[in-house]
Amino acid sequence: MLSALLVLPLLGSIFLGLMPKAWSPERCRAIALIIASVLFAWSIALGVQFDPTILGMQFSESFAWIEGLGIKYQLGVDGLSLPLVILNNFLTVVAIYSSDRDIKRPRFYYAMILLLNLGVVGAFVAQDLVLFFLFYELEIIPLYFLIAIWGGSRRGYAATKFLIYTAFSGIFILAAFLGAVWLTHVDGFAYDLVRISSNALPLGVQVTLLAGLLIGFGIKIPFFPFHTWLPDAHVEASTPVSVLLAGVLLKLGTYGLLRFGLGLFLDAWVHLAPWLAIWAAVSALYGASCAIAQKDMKKVVAYSSIAHMAFILLAYAATTRLSIVAANAQMISHGLISTLLFLLVGVVYKKTGSRDVTYLRGLLTPERGLPLIGSLMILGVMASSGTPGMVGFIAEFLVFRGSFPIFPIATLLCMVGTGLTAVYFLLMVNRVFFGRLPVYLEQIPPVNWGDRLSPIILAMLIIVLGLQPIWLTRWTEPQVAFLLTGQMQATQPADTAALPNGLPSVTQSANVLGETSVFP
Amino acid sequence: MGQFLLQTSWAIPFYGLVGALLSLPWSIGLVKRTGQRPAAYLNLILTLISFIHGAIAFSASWGLSAQPIVLHWLSVADLDLSLALDISPVSLGAIQLVTGISFLAQMYALGYMEKDWSLGRFFGLMGFFEAALGGLALSDSLLLSYGLLELLTLSTYMLVGFWYAQPLVVTAARDAFLTKRVGDILLLMGIVALSNYGEGLSFSELQTWAENSSLPPLIAALLGLSLIAGPTGKCAQFPLNLWLDEAMEGPNPAGIIRNSVVVSAGAYVLIQLEPVFSLSPVSSDALIVIGSLTAVGASLVSIAQIDIKRTLSHSTSAYLGLVFVAVGLGQADIALLLLLTHAIAKALQFMSIGSVIWTTNGQNITEMGGLWSRMPATTISFVVGSLGLVVLLPLGGFWSFQRWSNGQWEFPLWLLALVLFVNFFSALNFTRMFRLIFLGDPQEKTRRSPEVPWPMALPMMSLSVIVLLFVSVPLRWSLWLSQSSPIIHGDMTIPRLTMPLMVLSGLSGLLLGLSIELRRSWSRPRQVSLRFAQDFLAYDCYIEKLYDVTVVQAVSLLAQFTSWFDRYIVDGAVNLVGFVTVLSGQALKYSASGQSQFYVLTILVGVSVLFLLTMDWLGLFF
Repeated sequence: MLSALLVLPLLGSIFLGLMPKAWSPERCRAIALIIASVLFAWSIALGVQFDPTILGMQFSESFAWIEGLGIKYQLGVDGLSLPLVILNNFLTVVAIYSSDRDIKRPRFYYAMILLLNLGVVGAFVAQDLVLFFLFYELEIIPLYFLIAIWGGSRRGYAATKFLIYTAFSGIFILAAFLGAVWLTHVDGFAYDLVRISSNALPLGVQVTLLAGLLIGFGIKIPFFPFHTWLPDAHVEASTPVSVLLAGVLLKLGTYGLLRFGLGLFLDAWVHLAPWLAIWAAVSALYGASCAIAQKDMKKVVAYSSIAHMAFILLAYAATTRLSIVAANAQMISHGLISTLLFLLVGVVYKKTGSRDVTYLRGLLTPERGLPLIGSLMILGVMASSGTPGMVGFIAEFLVFRGSFPIFPIATLLCMVGTGLTAVYFLLMVNRVFFGRLPVYLEQIPPVNWGDRLSPIILAMLIIVLGLQPIWLTRWTEPQVAFLLTGQMQATQPADTAALPNGLPSVTQSANVLGETSVFP
Repeated sequence: MGQFLLQTSWAIPFYGLVGALLSLPWSIGLVKRTGQRPAAYLNLILTLISFIHGAIAFSASWGLSAQPIVLHWLSVADLDLSLALDISPVSLGAIQLVTGISFLAQMYALGYMEKDWSLGRFFGLMGFFEAALGGLALSDSLLLSYGLLELLTLSTYMLVGFWYAQPLVVTAARDAFLTKRVGDILLLMGIVALSNYGEGLSFSELQTWAENSSLPPLIAALLGLSLIAGPTGKCAQFPLNLWLDEAMEGPNPAGIIRNSVVVSAGAYVLIQLEPVFSLSPVSSDALIVIGSLTAVGASLVSIAQIDIKRTLSHSTSAYLGLVFVAVGLGQADIALLLLLTHAIAKALQFMSIGSVIWTTNGQNITEMGGLWSRMPATTISFVVGSLGLVVLLPLGGFWSFQRWSNGQWEFPLWLLALVLFVNFFSALNFTRMFRLIFLGDPQEKTRRSPEVPWPMALPMMSLSVIVLLFVSVPLRWSLWLSQSSPIIHGDMTIPRLTMPLMVLSGLSGLLLGLSIELRRSWSRPRQVSLRFAQDFLAYDCYIEKLYDVTVVQAVSLLAQFTSWFDRYIVDGAVNLVGFVTVLSGQALKYSASGQSQFYVLTILVGVSVLFLLTMDWLGLFF
């Protein structure tokens, strides 16, 4: 079942690569679209057959691969990864659909997108540390090309920066993985085996290994101060690549942090949690306040990604059942909302040739402007700043509600960050869409329904999931309970939420956590 | 039939929402052939249906106890989020007010927005507005109320920004959203905290929780303050008051709803939250201080305004200040009564001045005059609306304040002084406005000014009749909300004096308003002190300036700084590392001598250093 998700894009990209040069971009796009749709349908079918009440991996596949090193080809999904797999396959369809009809070097382009899809899905379903790492690295290559070939004017700089950053990220992760395996003397790299013994390592070792993972995934997500590759990459990448980058690639980092950081070294995680919460607050406020000063619409959205991804770290740091379910909801929510925003910015850029908020004005004008795109942008912006009725609100509310009892101060700071979201996005919308349409923008070509289709679908998803959030949380909840309690054996889960005597201070709660998670 | 409609009264807010959705095809330009009017009619009809539905349900609910409707929305881990509705005479009455005023305002808009090209969008937004307000009236859960308050913020943003091509509108919409957002985020913080401490987020659960809770005083105080912040923004109270004044840039029919029902929505939530405020004396004190400050400040500011809408919007803030005080004193019933009285009278005033604006195409009252003979319906509405608010003749305002001060409720002396102050300045301001707009010689802009057409005149006159008939409501007002019975044996010396004093204050305001010299063309007094006072009030006590140099400046500086830091320090360091790497690589290539001994030596040294490091490093842990 799961291998199909990997084999099909591989075959697809090879097929596209081997096709004659004379093939038109339209035809390549159609083939890529068909493959992506099949993959999406396949992942939906997985979702239908998936039983959230079963704990542990489902649709598992496992056979020996490189026996000498103990590396296995082991796949499986659970409630944590399945929504991300579906999201990824959905966004790949969106990305291919919104690619330029007459793109240059179409065969290579679509092959790269399919390969990217393969890498990301592979990383989500891999159950072997080395296998995960391979997929994690594999996804860098197509993304590098996608930025370096089809990017904007400074694409070389941005792509190289991305490559170097992510390579470092990979090194840290690999080092932590190898360290964990060698120090625990586990035979092989199977995730569930390593997990059992890595949690028994001495705290100091755990902290050291976890630090490696934190830096490695922190680059990918990205958190302050490892984030500077992201705005550059977004600005230079074309719209579909930005969609994939913001929509799913960043989630590889948070997913890895949960699966491996928290999963392998829970003691160390809880030990470091107060610092992680502070890091999240700093990152959220930093991203938000940087976003206020940006002039490029894409940079605004990119910095807002940094701010919103930091909420996930906050929720992970709190390590309650609720907060981790919330973090997963926030991943999906951010994936949908940032995709919508990037698509809309892409349309604006395509039609006006600019993303400069000081240059654009009055685009909401019905006759010669982009009224529907503007309205959808207002909707996306509101969703991002947490207006109820849309998915952003409930995800953030759950994050804050789940984290507040453990880290009240950091949670409140992150909520200030949410407040700032409204500031920078409203400034952007007000500048770009409100006001009088200037003369130099009067010749904007009309937007066809093809460009509107995917934003409209995303907007509907955002609203539907906002009204019916149970569809978002039902996958993950049992699995999170398993992840936390299955490991903390006899001890209490960390949500000692309602301490009777008011707010627990940060240090106090850290002590509580430290005590509850000492292993026998 | 009545029972069925009562049981389905949860559906009343949805009529507005359906209207909003149905007008989408017109507002996004899918339907062009019919023009924009059908969308307007659709919304009007749906609002009428919801009003009728509400009316029948209201009469059926009379005398019945409240029926809760609970929808289990989401349950994750240890958290259960339920959305609760409360079907009671109070909530159905509130929804009647909402749909009624919305209907009149929409009918009014048919005339007022006649020349506008995007009627569909406007009516869709009005439907959305109405739906959110209606939901708020029925809501019995803080979470749901918060969500609806946010949707109100959103629709205020879009309605104020309706004419988005004008620069003033752009800043007004932005400020309205952001100011309310500040309050809302603080409110959300309170909700997150409450959700952690409390049993649930429905108002009844909060009440039982508040009665047995033992929060430390500091936490309780902070919690109370954060819960107050949201309504403070919604009700345009100091220090979050400026948006209402700026929001007057939006279309007037929306202004009718905004100044009457939307500001009330915030206070309505406040009234429902009252049990939580009993946790800490700080929150009641804060309510009283905020309310009094706003009442005094806004009364003063309103008399210095020359914009016809802005001066009334400050008067709205002032009256809502009194409502805050009532809630702070724990007198929820009085607060509700004041809200109702104010909402109806203020809606009428706004309709009247809307007609003036529509006819004269201006908002500057110093450019008007002599309209009374040309626009009789408008004149009558303004007079009736003002009298319905001010304590002078025995109309709604009179009886509401009589109800407050008749000795059944705690009515301290300072409160009497505050009410006298507000009443005096309201009377003065309305008289001043009346003289400038309706009396005197016609000015250039008011020379050719016919009465408004019937779609505007009809709702205006109907509301005038309602305001006149409203007298019976405060007279028959019974206790809806208060748990404790009000004071029965109070000190009766003050109550006997209050009403004469209030009428006297209204009368002196009226007389002063009639006697002062009003200049038509805008001229400023010569004395420096007077001029300063006038400017000080006319520019809203320079609060906006103050915000500009403090909060706005601080956020902007912080943003500039982090952005600079990001670019030159964080990214600069990265680029420096890259640069140094390249440079040292360039330099090092000359050190490659080709001798194998040198390479072996390098490797040996490197490995031993690494070895020592790892041994030491691991030695720390083992």
